[in-house]
Amino acid sequence: MSPTIRPMQFAIAAAAIGATLAVLAPTTSFARDKVVFATNWKAQAAHGGFYQALADGTYRSHGLEVAIQQGGPQVNNRPLLPAGRIDFLMTGNLLHTFDNVKNGLPVVVVAAMFQKDPQALIAHPGQGYEKFADLAKAPVAMIAKDGQFTWWQWLKVQHGFRDEQLRPYNYNLGPFLANPKAVQQGYSVAEPIYVENQARFKPVVHLLADHGFSTYSTVIEARTDTVKNRPDLVRRFVDASILGWYNYLYGDRRAANALMRRDNPEMTEEELEKSVALIREQGVVDSGEALAKGIGAMSEARIRDFHDKMVKAGLYKPGDVDLSKVATFEFVNRGVGLDVKKQLGVR
Amino acid sequence: MDATRSAIELDRVGKRFAGGTLALAGVSLSVTSGSFVAILGPSGCGKSTLLRMIAGLDTPSEGSIRLAGGQRGGDRGVSFVFQEPTLMPWGTVFENVWLPLRLAGRSRAAARDEVEALIGAVGLAGFADALPRELSGGMKMRVSIARALAPHPGLLLMDEPFAALDEITRNRLNDDLLHWWRERGLTALFVTHSVFEAVYLSERIAVMGPRPGRLVAEVAIDEPYPRTEAFRSSPRYTLLCSAVSKALRDAQQGEAD
Amino acid sequence: MNPRRFPSVRVIVPTLVFVAALLGWEAMVRIAQVPHYILPAPSLVLATLWQNLDSLAQSWWFTLKITFGALLLSAVLGVALAALFAMSRWVELSLFPFAIVLQVTPIVAIAPLILIYVDSTTAALLICAWIVAFFPVLSNTVIGLRSADPNLRDLFTLYRATRWQRLRLLLVPSALPYFIAGLKIAGGLSLIGAVVAEFTAGAAGRETGLASRILEASFRTEVPKMFAALLLVSLTGVAIFLLFNLLARSLLGRWHESEEDPGRRS
Repeated sequence: MSPTIRPMQFAIAAAAIGATLAVLAPTTSFARDKVVFATNWKAQAAHGGFYQALADGTYRSHGLEVAIQQGGPQVNNRPLLPAGRIDFLMTGNLLHTFDNVKNGLPVVVVAAMFQKDPQALIAHPGQGYEKFADLAKAPVAMIAKDGQFTWWQWLKVQHGFRDEQLRPYNYNLGPFLANPKAVQQGYSVAEPIYVENQARFKPVVHLLADHGFSTYSTVIEARTDTVKNRPDLVRRFVDASILGWYNYLYGDRRAANALMRRDNPEMTEEELEKSVALIREQGVVDSGEALAKGIGAMSEARIRDFHDKMVKAGLYKPGDVDLSKVATFEFVNRGVGLDVKKQLGVR
Repeated sequence: MDATRSAIELDRVGKRFAGGTLALAGVSLSVTSGSFVAILGPSGCGKSTLLRMIAGLDTPSEGSIRLAGGQRGGDRGVSFVFQEPTLMPWGTVFENVWLPLRLAGRSRAAARDEVEALIGAVGLAGFADALPRELSGGMKMRVSIARALAPHPGLLLMDEPFAALDEITRNRLNDDLLHWWRERGLTALFVTHSVFEAVYLSERIAVMGPRPGRLVAEVAIDEPYPRTEAFRSSPRYTLLCSAVSKALRDAQQGEAD
Repeated sequence: MNPRRFPSVRVIVPTLVFVAALLGWEAMVRIAQVPHYILPAPSLVLATLWQNLDSLAQSWWFTLKITFGALLLSAVLGVALAALFAMSRWVELSLFPFAIVLQVTPIVAIAPLILIYVDSTTAALLICAWIVAFFPVLSNTVIGLRSADPNLRDLFTLYRATRWQRLRLLLVPSALPYFIAGLKIAGGLSLIGAVVAEFTAGAAGRETGLASRILEASFRTEVPKMFAALLLVSLTGVAIFLLFNLLARSLLGRWHESEEDPGRRS
């Protein structure tokens, strides 16, 4: 008698095994680590990579149960990290980290998703602001609180802006649209889209990064004790996030977009797609060192260079910031995700 | 006393309030100049309303009120003493008594002697700089009376001024009031719900019935002045009080029928 | 020891309790090793205050200017409008709804709007702080003007007082306790208004008050400095409270029940 399994027995066995796995799978060795990641704004394309990793299961497959906590105009997520209420924090530039290190807060940068800071100043076309240097002559510059206390100081020292121009920016385009001579802050991959939607013109956009503001952006901060005691957790989070970015930029991002639109109902699919196009076009994420070393790449030299520029601008005194404490490079520069990029057909 | 020396003439005075309540119905009364008349009646009979209309603080719905020398005030004006002392709590005794003169244009310096004399006359010498809250109820009422006397009124209207005071103080003030009245030759109209007080103070009691108020009886008290404690303990007083009480009771009964 | 009979007790006891609380706070931070960026110890806060006294003092002065400017505006306009309301029921009925709307709309929402219409940030802050402080003065003074004893009013009518005499000798003194009560409330509110308005509508750099200092310290994660600036705000609030209590006592102490010392009753 040949040891063939009769179809009926096979079916029963398969069902039993399937049922067992279905019941046990979520609870057995797959006790995923719960992670809370706070962003610095309401969900937008500039957060796309993280939402991608959430939507397409990359975090889950790295053993992480990630909850993304949005920021927003009235929300300040930053104190939550040293207080232990969140595990990872997204911040927009290195100045925040410099401040933390200067003030003795035990946090450190573990990855830098943006090689270029999209922080920009925008102006009405045809009003004489075609050159960056002209912006310093604007009668009114609308800058939000965050920027007022940080990179505005650099603009004053390096580029001749004055406090007399300063007006608070409350994330409402109205005042800017109403005053042709006004300039305001914005993300080069976001505000121009909203301006065009609301007022049907393309604003003049000047990237701060093109004029000496050489910081990394959308960096991931973690507590130093997390890095020390749970490096594996950090590695998995960073790796998954990097993969998320590759997939978001070059792959099928519809699920990620849907997730972002659920978190931020005012966002539209069209705005997200336009923003992604700008991110790719401007080389915000995947440029420079990231091309060879993978998204998230950081170098000590560049951090030092940015720091020195800020010292020159008077934001810090030499020695205020211990650069060795600013970032750790153990989780990046390993080429993670380059294979995914090739698979997605991108050269 | 003939009618032409009448200080107040009330001719079928009636008052209906905005809500429709009839407070007074056809009150006719004549008050001779220089006399002391009491208006006696139960609570709510409209006697306060009547007094206010005489003072010009309210207008009758029917009938007319004439005061000697014209519709209001006359050459010697009207003063009013309320049931509460109604002093200005932020002013001293002096400033309170000075008020009517001040409103008429007399400066503090010009009025000083007169006001201080008045304060002395009501028995509060030395209290010119006191504040109302430092005074007892009886003392505050004396200030109120002093204030009423300050503009040399011809007519003094009083609305149950002693009702809130204790008996001893009340009796003392009764005597003082009679003294001030006789001294200054005022016409006094005294509203009260106390039979004892009405009989002790007045020459004539106008008895009013319950709402709507109307005059139901008049009782003459012809005990000569000055009246003293002796009067209060005399049999004549008791008789008069009974008669007046009876008139008051009849008034209640009559209306109730 | 009855606190009413010994005024110095009234000062000593709260001070002692306050100092004890501060010492407790200091001890807790040291013993539990609470990091300075979570909760700084009082000693650190005071040291930070001392180190940054220059810039903090300037900001303090600015906040004080806005606060007292708004308070003055509230007092003047509040009284003027109250007098208007008291004189004419029609005016009151027409304008009161606006006053109420102004009162209940949160200043945090209004501040950015005002900034759109008004060019100068300082003016915008003044307006915001005024809006918050104005209503208590207005409503209290209106009630006060109406609260004159009706019998006294009759007396004034009887003695043929002119409108001016009535206002000066009767209405104003009658309204004074209520106005002072409204002013006490407005004092605290104008400080709050000045600070909150600056949070939403202030601009860093020139002409900034304590709110901007607090925000700046928050963005630069300088927590002890935040506390230092907050300390100055609290001190200002307490000072305003004491100032108006003193004012009330001096203006009303002699004659009004609200300032009556229970031990004095004869």
